[in-house]
Amino acid sequence: MQKAKKERIRPLPLNEQWKQIGSKIAKGFSRIGKSFQRFIARFKDGSVGTKISHFICGFGNLSKKQYAKGILFLGLQVIFLLFMISSPEVNSTPFGWKSLGNMITLGTEAGDLFNPTDNSMLMLLFGVVTVGVIAVFVLVYFSNIKSSYEGDLLIRKGKRVPTFKEDIASLFDSRFHVLMLTPAMLGVLLFTVLPTLFMILIAFTNFDAEHVPGQHLIDWVGFANFAAIFQGTGEISARFLPVLTWTLTWAFFATFTNYISGILLALLINRKGIKFKKLWRTVFILTIALPQFISLLAMRNLLSLHGPINSALVQLGLLSSPIEFLGQATNAMTARITILVINLWIGIPYTMLMTSGILMNVPTDLYEAAMIDGATKRQAFTNITVPYILFVTAPYLITSFIGNITSFNIIFLLTGGDPVVPGFKAGQTDLLVTWLYSLTIEESEVNIGSVIAIFTFLITATATLISYRRSKSYKEEDAFQ
Amino acid sequence: MKMKSFLLLALLAIVAFVIVGCTPKEKATLTIWVGAESADFYQLKMDEYVAEYNANNDKEFPYIIDVVASDTGSAAGRFLDDPDAGPDIFTVAHDNLGRLVAGSSAIAPITLQPLLDQINADNPEGFLNVIKATVGGTEYTFGVPYVAQSLILYYNKQYLNETQVQTWEGIWDVAKTENKRAMVVTGTDGFNNSFLLLSRRANDGFTSLRLYENGVQENTFGTGDDTISVLKWGQRFFMDPNGGAQASSSGWEVELKDGLALSVIGGAWHFNAAQSALGSNLGIAVLPQFTITAQDAYGTVTAGTVYQSGSFTDTKMFVMKKGSDKADVLQQILLYLSSKEMQELSFNAADNLPAYKNAAVEFAKMQENTIEAALAAAQVEMFANGIPQPFGFQARYNTYYYSKGAPDLILAILRNTTGEFSTFEQIKAQMTIVETIWKTGNQPA
Repeated sequence: MQKAKKERIRPLPLNEQWKQIGSKIAKGFSRIGKSFQRFIARFKDGSVGTKISHFICGFGNLSKKQYAKGILFLGLQVIFLLFMISSPEVNSTPFGWKSLGNMITLGTEAGDLFNPTDNSMLMLLFGVVTVGVIAVFVLVYFSNIKSSYEGDLLIRKGKRVPTFKEDIASLFDSRFHVLMLTPAMLGVLLFTVLPTLFMILIAFTNFDAEHVPGQHLIDWVGFANFAAIFQGTGEISARFLPVLTWTLTWAFFATFTNYISGILLALLINRKGIKFKKLWRTVFILTIALPQFISLLAMRNLLSLHGPINSALVQLGLLSSPIEFLGQATNAMTARITILVINLWIGIPYTMLMTSGILMNVPTDLYEAAMIDGATKRQAFTNITVPYILFVTAPYLITSFIGNITSFNIIFLLTGGDPVVPGFKAGQTDLLVTWLYSLTIEESEVNIGSVIAIFTFLITATATLISYRRSKSYKEEDAFQ
Repeated sequence: MKMKSFLLLALLAIVAFVIVGCTPKEKATLTIWVGAESADFYQLKMDEYVAEYNANNDKEFPYIIDVVASDTGSAAGRFLDDPDAGPDIFTVAHDNLGRLVAGSSAIAPITLQPLLDQINADNPEGFLNVIKATVGGTEYTFGVPYVAQSLILYYNKQYLNETQVQTWEGIWDVAKTENKRAMVVTGTDGFNNSFLLLSRRANDGFTSLRLYENGVQENTFGTGDDTISVLKWGQRFFMDPNGGAQASSSGWEVELKDGLALSVIGGAWHFNAAQSALGSNLGIAVLPQFTITAQDAYGTVTAGTVYQSGSFTDTKMFVMKKGSDKADVLQQILLYLSSKEMQELSFNAADNLPAYKNAAVEFAKMQENTIEAALAAAQVEMFANGIPQPFGFQARYNTYYYSKGAPDLILAILRNTTGEFSTFEQIKAQMTIVETIWKTGNQPA
């Protein structure tokens, strides 16, 4: 078989990559500048109604007899202003404009035995929520101006402005994407962006076991928590690098072993001559049907010192006496290898299923052409099957790697992070996520937990971006299509 | 037609408002957290309290009382996560006092004089010292003790008799003969694995160990000759395959039930599991004594010195939420719940060891020849050999002692897996690190 000439796509030199990044940043600033220019141009060019819309939302629509739309925009502005000015309180902590000041001070009333203390965490949270509300209102504000200006343009062209009914109808037609994406974006803002921002801000405070909100005022401490990783004798400075190293090692080997094993298993089941293929696939799928935590707890019991596996190994003569495989293992490597092996049970079925589906969809004419060209079965496997599988599963590899970095269940349920490292909270099998769980939930060291969460995010985000952008499935997507 | 529809809607709205307005207001709920083993008992007693109140007063008791089963070990932490949503009264071990009153305090002081009088009259001095704290320069009483607890020995009567369990050597000899484990600890934390660290010279109760004495952080000392000797003895015990050990991954209950371990150090909260494991073979005793040998003696300690295993003695106490809108009735409820009569009923119904100082003498059920009475008697006897956890003075003491890795460093001495703690100097060096953690929360630089 003649090998097709592969055009190797070489990565750009480093200085060219920096130039690309720089030009993208410049483009970003340029876009912001253009937005401001557009804003000013609309004000100058717009009708009187549009100009007033910059101060009273919906006025432009009302002046064009778009009453429903105008009242909607005006109503949203009124609600926003009421929210900001009246500063409603929950648990004696205000929202609105007061929350913005509170977010900076994190409270001033220290309280005493008979008077309440300002709750710094609620103040921070409500400040973040108020920032979110402001961000949403800014979008509404610009939408109001855009709507009025577009009406002006239509009138100048001699056309009529759309009615409210027509606007609603367009949401189910030409602007269907707006209807679908708006709730999703609001959900992302509410359940992802705001909590993430809150968590990031906590990393810059002294919110720990000795500073309990409601009993103490919390203070901003700048980058002190981040600096603690590289200085001092505390837990985070001593254990951060070892835990990070194990996390990346675990993620690599867990992904690699599951991936290769799943592919091999799928290839084995798909071989010609293997009978009852569906049965074998079903057997392995059953492990997915069982909730993961049940499997893991069962594994933990099976591998306990006086459990059936130890008993069997002793009776077979493979062990002279029972040994601890997991949290109480005398050797950390024993526990780590055991976890990796158990992880195969959890992860192989997914890879096996996916690979089975891919194998069934490899174009058979490729194999026929290879046979005609005189290729052996091994050549066909290595030059057609493997590249095809790798190409399709590259995104899965990346998500699997990221998933294993943040794999909580298996470590928490099997070992709890143990074997212990005497003198420290983080054990020998702790990942960053399990460590931050014990720091925040068990020790109330919330600020340090936030720092670890930020580092985890930076690692996973960086790994994701670099790996995916370098993968062929990203670069050669068009060619593959 | 439009006017008719409008009038009909308006009429319906008025009727709805009237119905809502005239509906009697639901009573607010007053929540009490107690240990899971006694939630039913205390709910029954609070129902009786409310019934008696209603019978003796013109107006009804203003709240619905809800007694909720709660893990008292984590109650303080859960309460502090969201005090506003927390219970009005809850149960905590006294060592949580420091974190609860830190800063401006999350709990309210006791101010009702009859309740203060009852607390002072009914409780031993050791408990009275640990239920008070200073906030804003003034000392207040915050806790109302009602349950006491201590570590004791659960043992298998199939293998051990009452004489053998008086000493670790006695249990150890039987374990060697039967090829079993003499003892397992239910946990390796600083509470469940404290029997060596807190041990005292048997003849006079002396120990050089100091833990935040008088509430002062610097009054902490753990490198005395007796501590080093005791840990050396403990190392011999834990390194022997028939000696002591941390419970395996199969669990102490399995090891006790299958006869793999002859005894377990545990508390009253382990009683049900121990009884399930051993049934009628369950024996209960005070923690045994042990004798320092020439191998173990260090410095001023002489071979042949007998030590009594020690324990932290705990009181579980009721505390009140600060700023509760039901403050008018909370202290009256506490007066009722912590009375010695109620403590006796609680012991009879739920085997809660009373905090009341004369319970062993006055409560009839504690005189009986039952396993529950034996459990109570063993704990009461351990009070003479133990100290109340001294961590309630400051929030950080509890954290420094339990949560900064010190218990694992002590366990490393006992297990000596790699041989790096074989000499007295090595043990002392490790305990110096432990002492630094107790004092500062961090290992030495």
